[in-house]
Amino acid sequence: MHNEVVSFINSKVSGANATLNTPENGDSSVSIDASKILEVCQALKDGEFEFNVLQVISGVDYKEYLELVYILASFTKNTELLLKVKLDRGTEENLPSVDSVTSVWSAANWQEREAYDMIGVRFNNHPDHRRILTPDDWEGYPLRKDYVVQEKYHDMVVNPEAKVNTADHMFMKNLKESYPDPKKVSGSWKSDDGDAAEAKE
Amino acid sequence: MQDSVILMKVDDFFNWGRKNSLWPMTFGLACCAIEMMATGAAKYDLERFGCGAFMATPRRADLMIVAGTVTLKMAERIKVLYEQMPEPKYVISMGSCANKGGPYWQHGYHVLKGVDEVIPVDVYVPGCPPRPEALIEGLMTLQKKIANERLLRDKWVKHA
Repeated sequence: MHNEVVSFINSKVSGANATLNTPENGDSSVSIDASKILEVCQALKDGEFEFNVLQVISGVDYKEYLELVYILASFTKNTELLLKVKLDRGTEENLPSVDSVTSVWSAANWQEREAYDMIGVRFNNHPDHRRILTPDDWEGYPLRKDYVVQEKYHDMVVNPEAKVNTADHMFMKNLKESYPDPKKVSGSWKSDDGDAAEAKE
Repeated sequence: MQDSVILMKVDDFFNWGRKNSLWPMTFGLACCAIEMMATGAAKYDLERFGCGAFMATPRRADLMIVAGTVTLKMAERIKVLYEQMPEPKYVISMGSCANKGGPYWQHGYHVLKGVDEVIPVDVYVPGCPPRPEALIEGLMTLQKKIANERLLRDKWVKHA
């Protein structure tokens, strides 16, 4: 199906530059140019593939760039499509932006708000462009890889010194040092030393 | 000496009434609230302890069961709700999240590390989420605490 979708997009929307991604593991997807997202979505909905449902808009941070993944579905044709657009990271004042697809699917409204909230992508012509999960005056975009949580939020300390469990950190650190193969020690604990050691390898 | 005997008896009487008619606030934040509802429902029946009248407004409640993850966004609301409750008021911190951040203790950028950062807590109930028996245990602990309070004496007798 994906090859037909790619040729369909390229024939309907000029400049969309649709390409097919077939990864070694996982689902195939279609990448398009970020500036043409609205036209492509409209064409996919109205055209022969009838993608009448937007299931998810999710954002991925690949460190060098951001990617938005639109998961579309057609309940009439019983198909699914992963549509991807690549965006640059932008800066704090100048976030990357892409056209909103709320005019195509109303479901995009909250999905785009969440993408803005979590990954920091602006959506042009969005009817209600606010954060959705974190408070309105929150700083930063939590799902970015370089996100650092603020020290305080409205006089509440986010990570109070007295409540950080350093014993757990030390336990994991000691375990990694004592174990013959440190890579086999799994866990979400990452001390600064541990990260540095991994980078050296 | 002369001040305490009568007041203690009156205090005991009041405490008996207060501890057996705790009115919690209808208020749940996360999955702990499901256990709290189960505790209030027929099988565990919080009403046996006089604690089943869940009030829909903080102004009629005297017990706040903080059941669930306290996000930073919610923490301010919790503080406002607590301040709206009339004295004397009590707080049960239910579950690991409300106690100390729970599973969000390290990477939970959005979670307050324990509700005691914003409001005073009387009883901590551990568990994730605590079973209804644990909440009942916490409630009975609170009742014991209330039974030993000397509100009248503290109010009327100087240097008590």
